[in-house]
Amino acid sequence: MVIAQCKKLIKVYPGAQDFRALDEVSLSIKEGEFVSIMGPSGCGKSTLLNILGLLDEPTGGEYILNGVPTQRLSDARRTELRRNEIGFIFQSFNLMPRLSVLENIALPMRYTNMPRADILPRARELAVRVGLEKKLHSTPLQLSGGQCQRVACARSLANKPSIILADEPTGNLDSKASAEILTLLKELNDGGMTIIMVTHDPKIAQGTHRIIHVKDGKIV
Amino acid sequence: MRLPDLMATGWTEVWAHKMCSFLSFFAIAIGIATFFYTLSILSQRYSRLGQTAKVAGAGRVETSTNHPLSLVQYQDLKARLPEGSSLALTTRNFNISNGRWWNTLYHRGNKLLGGGVRGILPSFKDADFVYRLEGRFINWKDVENKHRVVVMTVFPHEVKKAKKRFWWDDEEGVQLVKDYSAHHHLLQQQIELHHQTFTIVGILHLPTESDDVRLSRNREDRPMFYIPYTTWYDLYPEEKDTRQVDIRVVTGKESTAKAAGRSLASYLRSQFGVDEKPEIEFFQEKMEEHLTQARKSLNNMLFMGIIAMIAGGIGIMNVTMAVIFSRTKEIGIRRAIGASRKDILFQFVVEAMLLGLCGSVAGMILGYMAVLHLAEDTSQMTFSWWVVALSVLIALVTSFLFALYPAWQAAKLKPVDALKNE
Repeated sequence: MVIAQCKKLIKVYPGAQDFRALDEVSLSIKEGEFVSIMGPSGCGKSTLLNILGLLDEPTGGEYILNGVPTQRLSDARRTELRRNEIGFIFQSFNLMPRLSVLENIALPMRYTNMPRADILPRARELAVRVGLEKKLHSTPLQLSGGQCQRVACARSLANKPSIILADEPTGNLDSKASAEILTLLKELNDGGMTIIMVTHDPKIAQGTHRIIHVKDGKIV
Repeated sequence: MRLPDLMATGWTEVWAHKMCSFLSFFAIAIGIATFFYTLSILSQRYSRLGQTAKVAGAGRVETSTNHPLSLVQYQDLKARLPEGSSLALTTRNFNISNGRWWNTLYHRGNKLLGGGVRGILPSFKDADFVYRLEGRFINWKDVENKHRVVVMTVFPHEVKKAKKRFWWDDEEGVQLVKDYSAHHHLLQQQIELHHQTFTIVGILHLPTESDDVRLSRNREDRPMFYIPYTTWYDLYPEEKDTRQVDIRVVTGKESTAKAAGRSLASYLRSQFGVDEKPEIEFFQEKMEEHLTQARKSLNNMLFMGIIAMIAGGIGIMNVTMAVIFSRTKEIGIRRAIGASRKDILFQFVVEAMLLGLCGSVAGMILGYMAVLHLAEDTSQMTFSWWVVALSVLIALVTSFLFALYPAWQAAKLKPVDALKNE
């Protein structure tokens, strides 16, 4: 089953000379796939990921997420989709520095209608799943990079998304931590999670089902 | 996000950005202090005017004449007034120490300087009676028989010497009478007024300055010796100055005041000829003047309060803008993990309102201190909950309104742009 489908996506950044970041990109991702997107910097892979994650809107083309065409949705509806269907993992972790590990993992759930009493138990469950049961009350500043990225992984799972979008999740990590994160992502994928990962590192990309190469806004 | 979560987040952020929060908090606190101060003073002034009107009596009309009314005329006039009216006649006050009449007032050979003497009727008691009476009051028997009895006023001992209320406050006389009455039981004692011996039958204990709600012109400004109306004319029959009489009518109903005023004027003219042009004063009108005055200062003070709140609001707005600017990335992250525009908007609004709430508490403390140290008469201040409630409400509304625009700007940010911000 196709979970995310792009048809001729175009993204133009207006300026003195319009910049075409995506040039008619078509792509479809099946449920349970682990896909990596590779390409030199500035090739449009981050733009693609932002559009897939509903953080940005394409200038043209279609994007269908889980059967829902997204191009004419209101901001509220896009937010709802993003909240429920997509989990993000960022290169620089993007955790809330003042919240504990537990609260960081719980944060996406705070934006849902989930009963308040259920939020922390589920956050704890997720923390255990990524192996941080001993760090529940630490803040991100007290954690290593690898640990931070694990918090981010747990957070991305909070609202049971259909896709995880990882933007160079190992970019800020040493090789050991990178391997750990990759293993974690693979485990998630084995559990049926669809994952799209942007990476520079061919070694990391080799562990995925499919590698999509992007160059100058096109898939090659 | 639910309100408890919003408040918890807000509180964490407020605490994390102490300096920014403090500035914002400070701005609102100053505004609220001004508001609290003005509201406290005004609420006190209004409640006091209400008490003044109450003790003065409804349907009160006053005038004066240079023709002393006889008791027959008194009864005659009273019959023309609306049913149930109280009519009081009071002779003008004479200073005991003005040198012309008396130099000194003696009690048991002890010199008591100062004070005044007025002749009154029992109906004196019907309005403005704020005293605690010890012994008895002047009664009709005293009036009819021209008894040599006196009811004297005693100032409370807690009158503050530091705050000079009257120009004679530090005069020997007041102090002498005060001290003397404190140490001697004056009731049933003999006292000498203008070489005549009187018996003190009653003592009128004046309330403290703050509890005396009468208009200042109706308050005793020195020790007073009230004697029967008729006795007074018996003592001083000839002098022109002694002929002036204050007439006070209290009908009990505001609606009959005008009629009472007309009866009063026509009766005086019928008795004393066309030259008699009594000036009729309606107490209600005087009260309205005071209310107008109070309303005027209310407007002035509220204007100042509003200016202060606008300044406070701009402070909130400025700080909220700075906070949002420094937290753009955070907004991006929150949007990415599922926060809607509404969530972001509420987050910053709730944060500003939390600050407003804290600011209002600090402002009220500040305002209360201002009331204690700056207000002319702090003894009359009462703590009223509605002033507190209103101050908090104003702080919340101001911080809400002024945080709305920056918060809306924050909510409008595109997630992808916000995330790029470092």
